[in-house]
Amino acid sequence: MSNDRSSKPPAGGLSRRDFLTRGAAVAGGLAAAPYLLGGSPAWAAVEEGAKVGGKLDVLNWIGYIDKKSKKDFPKQTGIKLKYSEALDDNNTFFAKYQEQFANDDHIGFDIVAPTTWMAARLIELEYVQPLPFDLMENRGSLRAELENPVWDPTGEFTLPWQTGYTGIAYNIEATGREITSVEDLFDPKFKGRVGWLLEMRDSLTLAMLSTGMTGEEIAAGVTFNDAKPAFDRLEKAAQGGQIRRFTGNSYVSDLLSGDFALNVSWSGDVAQLTTQEPNLRFVVPDEGGHGFWADVMCMVATSKRSKQVAAWLDYFYDPVNAARVADTTSYISPVADITDELATINPEAAENTILFPPQDVLDRLVQFPLLDPDDEERFDRRYAEITGG
Amino acid sequence: MTTVERALDSPAAVEVQRSFPPPWLRRAGSWLLNIYAGLALVYLFIPIAVVVAFSFNAENTNFNFTWDGFTFANWTHPFADQGLVDAFVLSLEIAAIATAIAVVLGGLIALALTRYRFRGSGFVNLFLVLPLTTPEIVLGASLASLFIAKTYPSPVPDSRGFAAVLIAHVMFCVSFVALTVKARLRGFDWTLEDAAMDLGAGPVRTFTKVTFPLMIPGILAAALLSFALSLDDFIITQFNSGDQTTFPIYIYGAAQRAIPPQIQVLSSMILIVSVGILVTGTFFGRRKERAATS
Amino acid sequence: MAGAADTAPKRGRFAPYGLLSPGIIWLILFFLVPVAILLRAALSSQPERFVPDDLRFKWKWSNFSNALDRFGPQFQDAMRNALIAAVVVAVIIAAVVVLRRGLWHNTRARRLLVGALVAGFFGAYIITSTVDGWGDHFQRSFLYAGIATLLCIAIGYPLAYVIAFRGGAYKNLLLGLVVVPFFTTYLIRTIAWKTILFDNGPVVDFLQTIGVLGDSGRLLATPGAVIGGLTYNFLPFMVLPIYVSLEKIDVNLVDAARDLYSSPARAFRKVVLPLSLPGVFAGTLLTFIPASGDFINAEFLGSPTTSMIGNVVQNQFLVQLDYPTAAALSFVLMAIITVAVLVYARVLGTEDLTG
Repeated sequence: MSNDRSSKPPAGGLSRRDFLTRGAAVAGGLAAAPYLLGGSPAWAAVEEGAKVGGKLDVLNWIGYIDKKSKKDFPKQTGIKLKYSEALDDNNTFFAKYQEQFANDDHIGFDIVAPTTWMAARLIELEYVQPLPFDLMENRGSLRAELENPVWDPTGEFTLPWQTGYTGIAYNIEATGREITSVEDLFDPKFKGRVGWLLEMRDSLTLAMLSTGMTGEEIAAGVTFNDAKPAFDRLEKAAQGGQIRRFTGNSYVSDLLSGDFALNVSWSGDVAQLTTQEPNLRFVVPDEGGHGFWADVMCMVATSKRSKQVAAWLDYFYDPVNAARVADTTSYISPVADITDELATINPEAAENTILFPPQDVLDRLVQFPLLDPDDEERFDRRYAEITGG
Repeated sequence: MTTVERALDSPAAVEVQRSFPPPWLRRAGSWLLNIYAGLALVYLFIPIAVVVAFSFNAENTNFNFTWDGFTFANWTHPFADQGLVDAFVLSLEIAAIATAIAVVLGGLIALALTRYRFRGSGFVNLFLVLPLTTPEIVLGASLASLFIAKTYPSPVPDSRGFAAVLIAHVMFCVSFVALTVKARLRGFDWTLEDAAMDLGAGPVRTFTKVTFPLMIPGILAAALLSFALSLDDFIITQFNSGDQTTFPIYIYGAAQRAIPPQIQVLSSMILIVSVGILVTGTFFGRRKERAATS
Repeated sequence: MAGAADTAPKRGRFAPYGLLSPGIIWLILFFLVPVAILLRAALSSQPERFVPDDLRFKWKWSNFSNALDRFGPQFQDAMRNALIAAVVVAVIIAAVVVLRRGLWHNTRARRLLVGALVAGFFGAYIITSTVDGWGDHFQRSFLYAGIATLLCIAIGYPLAYVIAFRGGAYKNLLLGLVVVPFFTTYLIRTIAWKTILFDNGPVVDFLQTIGVLGDSGRLLATPGAVIGGLTYNFLPFMVLPIYVSLEKIDVNLVDAARDLYSSPARAFRKVVLPLSLPGVFAGTLLTFIPASGDFINAEFLGSPTTSMIGNVVQNQFLVQLDYPTAAALSFVLMAIITVAVLVYARVLGTEDLTG
């Protein structure tokens, strides 16, 4: 098995760039045609010819897919799908599988969907292989923001599953005022009722913006020294009792119960909640927010199921399916131009400004840069000390 | 007994105190004690009541946290969440196998310690307690160091997973079983075995007809204990589970986002079954007792 | 037991070892060997990050000091002060003993002296700990676990007492009720407390109304919540051993003591309490040890300022992949607990650790 990687042929005739350009062209008009004509969608053609068959094992985050897709995908493609939602933290995921990755043992999944910075690490360590773009049909197109990913410079290894951005969610009843600035996170008025994210890059971006760095400076590259004031400020807030907890996704229950008045938050969960809880708001602070980040699909190096992986990517880059997933997760679909499809499923969602942020919000978003691997260790150590582990 | 003798030896100033707490105060104190104990028992059930209540929650936010109304829907579809069911079945499987192995290994140790006098028994006694006086997190980390195999030069790959969890669970259950069975066997009259032998029973027959039946109550208690401990173990399991998702690990993952109400339903089911066993056990136990005394 | 010689265990040559060996070999392989490997990891140097090399063994004692500097600086200070205090007390005791030789042969006096030594140690430890803010991970672990253990005794002892002496025919049922909640998974129970104690919830509201909590007061994300969670989760481990030791007490003995001492409180203090101490001792171990290594309660009910050493070990081992640091911290935890258990066994005079 260990020889596979070196002997693997380079990605076939169709590269990601080709895929993108062709995808864009198709999205320009052709893709919609079958639906408009009431005909069967393109991936259904596969079904009529010969179902792909075989098996596919996918590892994804919890609550990140709609129920219908899980049943429909196997039916359409004949692929026996094993879909695991056991991915709950990038670092834990890496720790769990690193030995197997390093020994070229199959980890039991063909597709994994870590966050971009972790994907960059997997690419760097050669734990993942190029995606089978040559086997894919043309399907939709990528959002413009995701087209030149820093985490995947050649663009061969990843396709986003869902994307989103990070800002501040707050309960207006608890805060008593609109939140506009990262400084609000440090306001003594909210002592003990502020939440931050365990995901370092999200929290650090906002903390660095609060120490006076600009979005451009951050995006241009960050060293440990640049981040030091931000770390110190976070540590002081944590030790002084300003910060109640550092959380993963579980901040949602803290927001709902009112234990958090405001917290650093991902766009999706809150978009979903604001429709039911009118007091919940979400804002990208004036100083800026973190985004777009993405959870990206990678094909693990030991997988031999190129056809099935291609079918999976095809299926979920179909605008109709993509819209359905986005409607479930309330994150932003990486597939461009799904507004119409989403509007047919859920008209409210199509109007939601969290799901479809206006230009001035987009302009404030900062992508956290890739860290130098040596520096990254210092970042991780420092952040772990602050968050209490 | 020496403590008591010593205590009884020095009845100083008895006479003065004889009348001190008047009977009414004593009765009141006695009642207060009962009430205090009752409250302690209630305290044990507070979170359980919440779990049962939320199994009937008509959650409408995907986050089963706030009360959104009453429904039976969760109970009519207790197995709606496939991942949860798989995790639960895996946990039952591990608990059953681990208990079976631990009962044999631990039962034999208990038999050796109570039936024989031998050199080194004190050492064995101490050794058995060590896994119990080691914090779980240390047990988990040390076992994981063994299974990850990155911590020492070894040709073995990372072998965390089903077998690793099973091995870990057997490890901490063996001590519990050995100590529980040992406690029950202490004071057992081993001459019964000789009597059986004298009456012509072979060693195997003696064991199956005399020794083993006497061990059964202890073994049952120990088995129940290990099953419960294994089913509930999170810390050691988390270190060694690899890609296996047991019931507690599933809950931990789900707590990062949304606790499906089915978790509460399953927990309530376990509760109902165990209360059921308990109540019928008490009922039949009392009937038997009454039958025996009458 | 009334040990007539003929019921005593037989002397065995090979049979006992045969019966023991499978279980003991299992424990050697999967308890002793892993602990040895962990110790090796604590003294090894970590290869470069993400390089799939094995750890290299180097007698690297600095792992311990580095780990303690990062996660237990105040604990080190407190320990140092506590040791100094203990040495001072020891010197005083030695002086007193030399002056009055008879003291050393008096069991009671000896116990008192050891008690003074321990009190000096912990007194200095607690004073130093509480002077400086929130303390560090190690300090919090032992402080929280210690308080939780005391609370468990306070709640569990009367409960065990009532079940053992007043349970009558319902003894087993009551005992079962103590155990039953624990068939609901540990994590679920802990998360349930979050739903009960949340800031806008009825419990906090009530406490605010009666003035126990200030208007902005809260229960969750405080040391109190973590200690409360630990107390709740380990209570049965206190109740059961105490119950077992109380159950063994002959009721006639208690009656006799009542007649003799008249006051039930005195009878309790002179007869029941001493006889139940082995149970309290076992319960304390079964509560304190897991509580000091726990990370679940601190994670769900606490805040960054209440995280315990278990949280650090878990994170360093499973997330940061810093095995030497995690291993070193585990060992310090284990060593301290072992010393504490030995001292405790001495003070309480309970040799019979194994129950």
